[in-house]
Amino acid sequence: MYEASNISFRVRDRVILDDINLTIQPGQFTAVVGPNGAGKSTLLKSLAYENTDFSGGIKINGTSIRSYSPKSLSLVRAVLPQSTTVPFAFSAVQIVQLGRYAHRSTDSANRAIVAEVMELTQTTSFKNQEYSTLSGGEKQRVQMARVLAQVWEETVYPRYILLDEPTSNMDIAQQQQMFALAKTICERNIGVMAIVHDLNQAVQFADQLYFLRDGKITAAGEARRVFTKSNIEETFCCRVNVYHDPCNNCPYIIPERADAVPSFNNNFLNIKTSSL
Amino acid sequence: MNISLTMRDTRQGVIITALTVLLVVTALVSLTTGAVSIPVSDVFVILLRKTGLITNVSVDSTHELILTTIRLPRIFMTLPVGAALGVSGAALQGLFRNPLVEPGLIGVSGGSAAGVVLMIVFGGALFGSTDTLFYHALIPVVAFAGGALATFIVLGLGKQSGKTNIAVLVLTGVAVNALAGSIIGLSVFYADENQLRTFTFWTLGDLGGATAGKLIVAAPLLIGSVAVLLFQSRALNAIALGEAEAYHMGVNVERTKHIIVFFSALAVGVSVSLAGIIGFIGLVIPHLVRVLFHSDHRLVLPASVLGGAWLLLVADIIARTLVAPAELPIGVMTSLIGAPFFIALLMKAKLNNQI
Repeated sequence: MYEASNISFRVRDRVILDDINLTIQPGQFTAVVGPNGAGKSTLLKSLAYENTDFSGGIKINGTSIRSYSPKSLSLVRAVLPQSTTVPFAFSAVQIVQLGRYAHRSTDSANRAIVAEVMELTQTTSFKNQEYSTLSGGEKQRVQMARVLAQVWEETVYPRYILLDEPTSNMDIAQQQQMFALAKTICERNIGVMAIVHDLNQAVQFADQLYFLRDGKITAAGEARRVFTKSNIEETFCCRVNVYHDPCNNCPYIIPERADAVPSFNNNFLNIKTSSL
Repeated sequence: MNISLTMRDTRQGVIITALTVLLVVTALVSLTTGAVSIPVSDVFVILLRKTGLITNVSVDSTHELILTTIRLPRIFMTLPVGAALGVSGAALQGLFRNPLVEPGLIGVSGGSAAGVVLMIVFGGALFGSTDTLFYHALIPVVAFAGGALATFIVLGLGKQSGKTNIAVLVLTGVAVNALAGSIIGLSVFYADENQLRTFTFWTLGDLGGATAGKLIVAAPLLIGSVAVLLFQSRALNAIALGEAEAYHMGVNVERTKHIIVFFSALAVGVSVSLAGIIGFIGLVIPHLVRVLFHSDHRLVLPASVLGGAWLLLVADIIARTLVAPAELPIGVMTSLIGAPFFIALLMKAKLNNQI
C-alpha cells in the first residue's frame, strides 16, 4: 500500500497542499481529478518523492519513503511525467531500455521485458525512430513503456506507478487504450495512480477517485459513489448534470453551457465556497 | 552489462577500436614530424631501447635526444590533456542536457585560469621558489579550486525551480568568465616582465612546457578524473530524460551531479595548469561523436576520450609544422578549428528551435 498521511506543502506563505490523506492500493486504479492549479502535479511530485519538502508522511509497503534510497525507491515506484524532452538523439527503444537502469537483470531478460512493454504500448513499430521526431502521443506511449519496464517483473512486494495526465497529447482512441492498459497493469500487483483530466474517463476506469481543489481533498472514495453532481460542482465550480450510461453501466457528466460573462461563474464560486 | 542491445555493443567495440588505432597512428606521425623529421624506424628503435627490449641497435643521437627530451614528454602531456578536455565536455553536456555546453563557456577554464595566474604572479613571493615539487603540486590544486568554484556558481545560479535554465546558465557563465578575466587582468597588472611572458604564452595554450616534474603530479590526476567520468555514462543516459526522470529511475542525481562537476573541474583545471587554455575540444569532439555515431553516453564518453586526445594531437602537429621551426600557440589552433564549428552548431540549433 502507498499511504500518504497529512501531506502539507507550502511555498513561502502560499499553501499548495493542505493536509492530504491518500491511499493507493495495489491492484487498483486511483484517479485524482481537480481544476487547474489545485495542486495535483505537486501532489504527484510529493508522492514520487521528487518534492521532498512537504510535511507529513508517506509509507510504501509499510516503510517510510524517507528511508528509501533513490535506487530502492525506483524498484517499487515509477513515474510518468506530463512530458519529457530529450536533448540528444535517442531512439524510442533506447528510452524504454532506460527504465531498466536500476535492475541487475541479464541482457536477455531486459530485452524480453523491453520488447513486451513496447508491444503493449504499441510502440514497437517505431522503436528505432528518433524520440524527438515522434508525435506527442507516440512520445507519451514510449515514456509509458519506459515506466512499465521499470516495474514490470513480478515481485513479492507490490509496485506502484504514478501517471501525470498520461493522455494529454492523445486522440480519443489512444486515450481509451492508455487507460485500459493502465487498468490491466493493476492485475500485476501494481497500484496505479493517475491525474486524469477528463472526468468521464476518470469514472469509467478508476476504482478510487479523489477530488482535489485548492490543495485540499474535497471528496474521496469509491469512484462511482463519489462521482456526484455536488462533488463535481464544488470541486470544479462548474454546473454539470450527471447521467447514467447504460452501455458502459457507468455514470457520465455533461457540463451546463456557461455564460460568456464571467461574473456568473464568480458568483457561483463564491456561493459554493461559502457554503463549504 | 545492462540495458543494451547486442548490436550496439559490437558497433561500440568496433568504433572504439578504430579510434584507438587512429590515435596510435597519429601519435607515431606526431613523433616523427617537426622541425627535424625522424624516421618511423628510428622512433620504434628508440622506444624499444627506452623500454630495454633491445640494446644493440644504434640510432642518430640527435634524433634520440629530440625524441626523449622534447617529443615524448610533449605527447605524454598532449594525450591526457586532450582526453580530459574531450571527456569533460561530453560529461558536462550530458549533465546540463545541452550540446552547446563547453568547459570554457560555463566558466571552468576561466576559473582555473584565474587560479593559476594568481599562482604565477604571487606564488613565488608566497612560497619562495617556483621550482619545488610542492609548487608544481599546488598549481593543479589551485586550478582545480578555481574551476570547481566557477562551475558550482554557474550550476547553482543557472537553476530555476529545479531545472537548468540555459539562458541564465550561459549569462552566469559570461559573468563568471568576466570576473575571472578581471582577476587575471589585475594579476597581469602586478606581474613583472618575465611572468608576463610566461603568462601570455600560457593563455594561448602551450604544450611545449612538459617536464617530468609537472607530469608526475598532473598525469595521474588527469587519468584518474577521466576514469571516474567514464563510469558516469549510464547515469548520464538517464539524466538525458531530465533530472526528475533520472531520479524516478533510480539515479542518485545529486551525487552524480557532484561527481561530474568535481571531476570535470579537476580534469579541466589540471589541463589548464599544464597547458593553458585550450578551447573548443570539449565542445567539438562529443558533438562529432554524436553526429558520426550515436548519442548513447556509453559510446560518447569513451569516444570523446580518444577523440579529444586525437584532435589535440592533430592540432599540435599542425601548430608545430605550419610555421616551422616556429610554433603557433595550440589554443589558437583549436579555436581556429572550433569557432566556426561552434557557429555552425548554433545555427543548426537555431533552425531546430533548440535554443
